[in-house]
Amino acid sequence: MYKTNINLEEMSQKEAIEYLNETVKPDTGAIPAYLLGDPTIYDLEHKKVFLKTWVFIGHESEIPNKNDFITRDVSGYSVIISRGADNQIRGLYNMCTHRGMKLCRADAGNKSLFTCPYHGFNFKNNGDCVGIPLQKDIYGVDLDKSQLGLHKIRVESYKGLIFGTWNDEVESLDAFLGDFKWYIDIFAGRAEMEVMGPPQRFVIHSNWKIGADNFVGDSYHTMVTHGSIAKLGMVPSATYSKKGYQIHTNNGHGLNLGTPNPDFAFPEELKDEYKANLTEEQYEVLSNLKNMIGNIFPNLSFLISHTKIKGQLISNTSMRIWRPISVDKMEVITWFLVEKNAPEDWKRRSRESFILTFSPSGIFEQDDTEVFTDITAAASGTMPLVKQLTFNYTMGLHRKPVTEFVGPGVVYDDKFTEANQRNFYRYWLDLMTK
Amino acid sequence: MTIEKMLATYEFEQWLYQEAKLLDDIDFDGWFSLMHPSLKYQMPVRVNKEGTERPDYALDMYAFDDDIELLKIRVDRLKTDYAWAEIPPSRTRRLVNNVRLIDYKPNEKAVVNSYLMIYRSRSTDIHHDLISGERLDEFIFENGEWKLSKRFFIVDQTTINTRNLAIFV
Repeated sequence: MYKTNINLEEMSQKEAIEYLNETVKPDTGAIPAYLLGDPTIYDLEHKKVFLKTWVFIGHESEIPNKNDFITRDVSGYSVIISRGADNQIRGLYNMCTHRGMKLCRADAGNKSLFTCPYHGFNFKNNGDCVGIPLQKDIYGVDLDKSQLGLHKIRVESYKGLIFGTWNDEVESLDAFLGDFKWYIDIFAGRAEMEVMGPPQRFVIHSNWKIGADNFVGDSYHTMVTHGSIAKLGMVPSATYSKKGYQIHTNNGHGLNLGTPNPDFAFPEELKDEYKANLTEEQYEVLSNLKNMIGNIFPNLSFLISHTKIKGQLISNTSMRIWRPISVDKMEVITWFLVEKNAPEDWKRRSRESFILTFSPSGIFEQDDTEVFTDITAAASGTMPLVKQLTFNYTMGLHRKPVTEFVGPGVVYDDKFTEANQRNFYRYWLDLMTK
Repeated sequence: MTIEKMLATYEFEQWLYQEAKLLDDIDFDGWFSLMHPSLKYQMPVRVNKEGTERPDYALDMYAFDDDIELLKIRVDRLKTDYAWAEIPPSRTRRLVNNVRLIDYKPNEKAVVNSYLMIYRSRSTDIHHDLISGERLDEFIFENGEWKLSKRFFIVDQTTINTRNLAIFV
């Protein structure tokens, strides 16, 4: 039933989708290698996943004041995320409507008006076209400026996390996140959170899905890939990462909850703020949390890490996107998040631990990128198709989810299973074959 | 320029060349012994600003933000059998130039500005990475030797074009 000498480039889109349906079997744990290395899949993914679903843009604390803006890439296109004079956050396609020039080339700033470097068309930060140089003289008539406003992207937020989508028909962000919000509350809504500093950016020769796969469900790799951390005494043992829960919900989202933790991983001073923001059950999870690693479909990964540095335990909270650049290349953009009301010394130590562990110089991070790069190289070209190389994702298939956990979703009572990756690929396949 | 300053400039050029050699030869212990206990080792995140607003790097986020203890953790980690990011070690070539003595008190302290270009090659990968930037270094003279007490590396890219910073700058 498999075709040999497959060349996806020669297939129509319909045939490529049929081939995906024949070969990708999330429910039985068979994920073919070509998904990570084939350019046709990458192009299809851009249309069927990244232009169709919600993707992460940034955090509201990056634009706290009126007229603040950031520029971000949303599924391959530059977007200005601006807080208007009316305090509303908008997403504007960073393209002049006259001739298509990029309007703004700074990463961030504060301005109410954007002027095109090509012919000087002026746009307010709500998208309205408000000025055209020499208009009456050269156009002869009053141009209808209302037809020349900037293209808008749909933008919605949850607990300070700003997401955007190019798809006007997609379900609301609230519905897309669904049950997963229960866990996002703990990660991003437990207290007033803020992003400290600009995000870090670096490039890896890797397919973006390897990053998402790693964060959504792969606690198993930490024993070996991050073996150095146990050797350095920063975590108690190599099998430290097995204990806890693996949880997934609809739409491909999933996380790994490390628990229990005899120590409280967060600033003690904020216990009242946490209790005010969380339900009793969520606070219970937070109190016992050792770490939390997850992925919001498709490419926003988040992390609460808790390690011993200089003899002291400290947690750090971060998030990152795996921004696809090409089939074998992605930009990793990482943000450090911290409780706004935490003591200054705690914030400084938490940032220090983030930089040491999960920034581009991070001693956890750097070993992952080595693995991601080599996997991508091995999955590239036609051989994985011709030989039908398929990865085994059957870990935990024999297990039944537990029902006594306090949070929603499908829950397993330790972290070493591949249920979350199967869930990720099931939703990915749904979108790709729709 | 006085003869004294010329000689001092030469001395710090040689110091920086020797440091580059130790790192390129993967002698991390030798390199670490050049550091002063009060070390501050920082690499701020570079940002795109509109116009000529300065500084165009972050004052609150860094790719490195180490003191002597954190730097020691990195050096120790590279000696475990699990530091995959440097197995096999990167081939690096550090080119140091434009060395300028900014401030100098003989047998006491010095501030030195230099440019750095790092060529990095990993394993069988035919790609190479280039990391370029400017360093502002401070030195303290102790027990007859100049020790590095502060390094501030301003990288030239906002998106760093190397898979990680498992190497030192």
